[in-house]
Amino acid sequence: MIRQLVVNNVLHRPIRTIVSIIAVAVEVALVILIVGLTSGILQETAKRIEGIGADIMLQPPSASVFIAFSGAPMPIKIADKLRELRYVQAVAPVLLQISSSGGVDIIYGIDSKSFRDVSSGFVFLEGHDLEGPDDILLDDWAAKAKHATVNGTFRVLDHDFHVAGIVEHGKGARMFVSLATLQDLSGSRDKASIFFLKCTRQDHTQAVMDEMRPIFPGYEIRPLKDFLSLMTATSLPGLDAFIDSMIALAVSIGFLVILLSMYTTVIERTRDIGILKSLGASKAYIIRTLLGESTFICVAGIGAGILLSYVARVLFLSSFPTLVILITPNWIVRSALIALAGGLLGASYPAWLASRKDAIEALSYD
Amino acid sequence: MTITSTIRPPAEELLARRNLKVDPIVVTENLWKLYYAGKLEVPALRGVNFKVMPGEFVSVMGPSGCGKSSLLYVLGGLAKASRGRVLVDGNDLAALGDAERTKLRRYKIGFVFQRFNLLPTLDARGNIAIAQHIHGDGFDPHRFEVITKLLGLTERLKHRPSEMSGGEQQRVAIARAIINEPKLILADEPTGNLDTQNSEIVLSMLSQLHKDLGQTIVMITHNPEAAAYSSRVVHMRDGVIVDGATAN
Repeated sequence: MIRQLVVNNVLHRPIRTIVSIIAVAVEVALVILIVGLTSGILQETAKRIEGIGADIMLQPPSASVFIAFSGAPMPIKIADKLRELRYVQAVAPVLLQISSSGGVDIIYGIDSKSFRDVSSGFVFLEGHDLEGPDDILLDDWAAKAKHATVNGTFRVLDHDFHVAGIVEHGKGARMFVSLATLQDLSGSRDKASIFFLKCTRQDHTQAVMDEMRPIFPGYEIRPLKDFLSLMTATSLPGLDAFIDSMIALAVSIGFLVILLSMYTTVIERTRDIGILKSLGASKAYIIRTLLGESTFICVAGIGAGILLSYVARVLFLSSFPTLVILITPNWIVRSALIALAGGLLGASYPAWLASRKDAIEALSYD
Repeated sequence: MTITSTIRPPAEELLARRNLKVDPIVVTENLWKLYYAGKLEVPALRGVNFKVMPGEFVSVMGPSGCGKSSLLYVLGGLAKASRGRVLVDGNDLAALGDAERTKLRRYKIGFVFQRFNLLPTLDARGNIAIAQHIHGDGFDPHRFEVITKLLGLTERLKHRPSEMSGGEQQRVAIARAIINEPKLILADEPTGNLDTQNSEIVLSMLSQLHKDLGQTIVMITHNPEAAAYSSRVVHMRDGVIVDGATAN
């Protein structure tokens, strides 16, 4: 019976119900998409770094695990020192540069031969390797997003490059140019941001790292097989706080809309509350009815929000193919619980108000 | 259709016929109800002494503002007495808390209001069934069928209040009031919003409930014709009962 009352009450004001459901849906979708976007980008970046195939990564002291934030303070000669170490098969110096024209892109300046030695080479979908100083390689996602074709011209870092080839994604960055060219363009002659090392065997990784530490004190020496686990929101200062703030903002939207909606409902239904009281309905019964309505709205909003997340992901990815939005069951459940808790909290005060209404005043309400 | 065989017989009436002692179902002793307008004390009831025996149909008449509705609200536990005692089926409402008065309403009292007071989002069936749901015994299809047939509502059960006439709405309200076999029906101007024809129908039904089921009814009314359906008329003025306070 209470279910029938709840459903009928909710459907009695369809516009208000739809607005409330949309608010909860936006809340749920915001949580899912924000978390999905940050974790998706982090995971995809980590997979790309892992995809290089190196065993060890050497960065300057105090460098972030987010290698895009690394500067270029290391002399390129370090590569020669590294090559002398036991069990080191190949060393690839890489210079990183961020381009912010037409989206944020990380460009790897590489020496083709050493990078190939470490990474076993690119898988070319079209074109050929870097040959001239103005050549650029794009991965398939970047080529699609930027509508670039082989032998076409691609402008980045205020420089016109010749698209030499399109490679399969998953080798560190989405754009690769010659190390010397990038050093010239960024004024970092004979410098590298990062060194990738390939060991003769993977189980030599620890031994090589142990050997590196006294030679490069204070430098960040990281094994790449654990890289995925290092790329979490907590590794980037402020990212966790940003995600929490966005979740709090999303929850606030849901909370306030439900609060307002249920408050209006209670005012509008004052007389009905008086009727229920005259029938002997307890405070708990009235609270249960109103929380039931809020739950109904939240559940519908959660369903719509999950659907909205997938639709938004499709739309985002069609506009920005290089984005990765990771929608996980874990965060679907979490966002649903957050929305439900926020909704119930938002409905609690109006429900409490309703339960305390004076029956006679409520019955004479017009 | 007689429903005496399907609904609890009026035991109190049977006892009375055998000259056995019967306790009143409603007793008020020096009942006061005060309202406050700011710091100003406004007495609505000024020491009302009043008794209703089981199976009685009592009308309470009086001019506007004489305290009739206040008396009804206090008897129904919707308002708390300021002073004095109110016993309903032996329970002193003045000594009960809000939750206990709510329970008493749920199990012992049925209300019929002038403005029908049906839940607009439920159909007639839902409006009657919700009283059973709140009562807690669950839906009793047999009693539901008997009551709705008695009140001529069988064909209107799927209609919402907005789709029914005033007379039909009031019959739904009566069905809702009696569905849980309350000891006492409190009716507040039940024909106040009805035309003459529907008023007669509603009053006849209340009268039939009283006669066939021995239902105790206290009805507030302005209308002497409505009061004529009752077995006793109580007159109120200025917050006190001036005539008919006790059953003969």
